[in-house]
Amino acid sequence: MLAINTIRKTFNPDTPNQVRALQGVNLTLHEGTFVVVIGTNGSGKSTLLNALAGTFIVDEGSIVLDGTDITRWPEHRRASLVGRVFQNPFSGTAPRMTIAENLVLAARRGQARGLGWALKANVRQQLRDRVSQLRLGLEDRLDNSIGSLSGGQRQALTLLMASWLRPTLLLLDEHTAALDPRMADHVINLSEEIVSRDKLTTLMVTHSMQQASNLGDRLIMMHRGAVLHDFSGAEKQRLRPADLLARFESVRRAELLDESAAQMLRCAYV
Amino acid sequence: MTLLIGALTVGLILSLLALGVFISFRIFEFSDITADGSITLGAAVAAVLLVHGVHPVIATAAAFFAGTVAGTLTGIIHTRFGINKLLSGILVMTALYSTNLHVMGRSNVPLLDRRTLATQAEHAGAWLFGSTADLRVWGWDVAMRDATMLVLALTTAATVGLLIYVFFRTNLGTAMQAAGDNPQMIRALGVNVENMIVLGLAVSNGLVALSGALLAQYQGFADVQMGIGMIVWGLASIIIGEALVGVRQLGLIITGAVMGSVLFRLLVAIALRGGLNPNDLKLVTAVFVFVALVLPGLVTRLTSRRRRQAEAQ
Ligand SMILES: Nc1ncnc2c1ncn2[C@@H]1O[C@H](COP(=O)(O)OP(=O)(O)OP(=O)(O)O)[C@@H](O)[C@H]1O
Ligand SMILES: [Mg+2]
Repeated sequence: MLAINTIRKTFNPDTPNQVRALQGVNLTLHEGTFVVVIGTNGSGKSTLLNALAGTFIVDEGSIVLDGTDITRWPEHRRASLVGRVFQNPFSGTAPRMTIAENLVLAARRGQARGLGWALKANVRQQLRDRVSQLRLGLEDRLDNSIGSLSGGQRQALTLLMASWLRPTLLLLDEHTAALDPRMADHVINLSEEIVSRDKLTTLMVTHSMQQASNLGDRLIMMHRGAVLHDFSGAEKQRLRPADLLARFESVRRAELLDESAAQMLRCAYV
Repeated sequence: MTLLIGALTVGLILSLLALGVFISFRIFEFSDITADGSITLGAAVAAVLLVHGVHPVIATAAAFFAGTVAGTLTGIIHTRFGINKLLSGILVMTALYSTNLHVMGRSNVPLLDRRTLATQAEHAGAWLFGSTADLRVWGWDVAMRDATMLVLALTTAATVGLLIYVFFRTNLGTAMQAAGDNPQMIRALGVNVENMIVLGLAVSNGLVALSGALLAQYQGFADVQMGIGMIVWGLASIIIGEALVGVRQLGLIITGAVMGSVLFRLLVAIALRGGLNPNDLKLVTAVFVFVALVLPGLVTRLTSRRRRQAEAQ
């Protein structure tokens, strides 16, 4: 179970560039829940996922994962519990190393790394088996360097790597946004297969209303660093892309209203 | 012949420097100028211990250890205090200059008549062949001392190269490679990238110091100036090595760095023999590295421009 208790994060505090990116996010996820996260640009989706992964330490609040308070854990320590796929397909793999070497690195996520041989002969069959599940034919190219692969192939491998050892929490941040539509579909299908097969607690950020309505068993919409809407159960299953777009529209109108109200106040009092 | 063997020996000894620079420069893209100080540190530590009658193997090991300490310092200054890479190296290199003077007590420590790895090797050779007379190799007379030192340098370079290769095939070694290749990725897989940088620089400077210790014992003295510009020497060796064998496989790159160091030393020996002023050596080396660094980019730019022009027509 994941409990996020009123976390806050302000970037560049007390400077002209101050951004209050997380303004008291509260969220409790039961084990095995697949949550889709949507929201406008800059609403704090990536910041929320980064806070969970430990890219930075939150200013306030706490994060409890599986009964352990990980609020102050540095990123590399949280890796023992958290698997991650980034938006940029080049972020999740080491380009100068081979597919096999990358996978073996992921197979020891969060574990001590000593002077044991990394690529033992007997793991190759296992690597082949699991890579073939990606249905991209990469199992015959295990000794090619990652740098020679396409973004989509790299993203599929990153997904496999993040879930190689069953993570307590899986974070997917717009992980198909940079891919062409066919590859994006493929990676989304793979994600769903893996998440449902391993019953992974997952947070997936997306800008695709199609994905948001089709996937997951809960949906949250973020706005200005907080959770604005939270749908689960039958309510989530009923949501259609058009409903979600309507929600975005009402957020936009509220913004405009705010703007014009501020404008009016300025005119009246300044 | 003596000249050739001398060039080979120095080239092999300095290949340890090249392997050290390979770790900092190619794995971490860290132009670690600490090397200039740690090669002298290695020479100084070994020389002083030898003068005090310490066993050559122990003196050499101590030099390696001293180098790892220097590298650790650079790593900590960079990772824990956020000082940029180049400046961290400059700080430690500068501090090492005074340290080296303190270690040696003066600017030059001669090793005449001392027991060193060179004399040990010579004894071993004499014992093996039953005499100290010159050896005849393919019709050439070779002094026992030169021959045994060459064998010693070759064995050390091969052993160290092999150890590095094996290391980068282990779990720790692949994690270190990945830390240089994509820190974001390997951090997400649970590796403390900062620690990897510190460890990498420690090993790198340990090797550089080892190279200095062997060089001092070969040439028979340690000098506080001997490290100046050595990082550039290491870079030149790596670049030549990559030109010789490519950058695709780790085993090849390591072999290439050793070959590059030897070839470069041979070229230098030939150039000096042909009348190059020794004072110009560092200038020529620096120009060489500059050209080698910009040439590949220039060539691709030119060819792509030519291709564009061809397509435009
Ligand atoms: N490292 C940082 N330093 C300063 N500001 C940041 C940093 N990271 C994010 N921000 C700011 O925090 C706010 C939230 O950003 P975030 O990346 O979480 O948005 P998002 O919801 O992921 O948006 P998008 O849909 O565009 O990816 C933005 O205003 C952004 O500029
Ligand atoms: Mg984002």
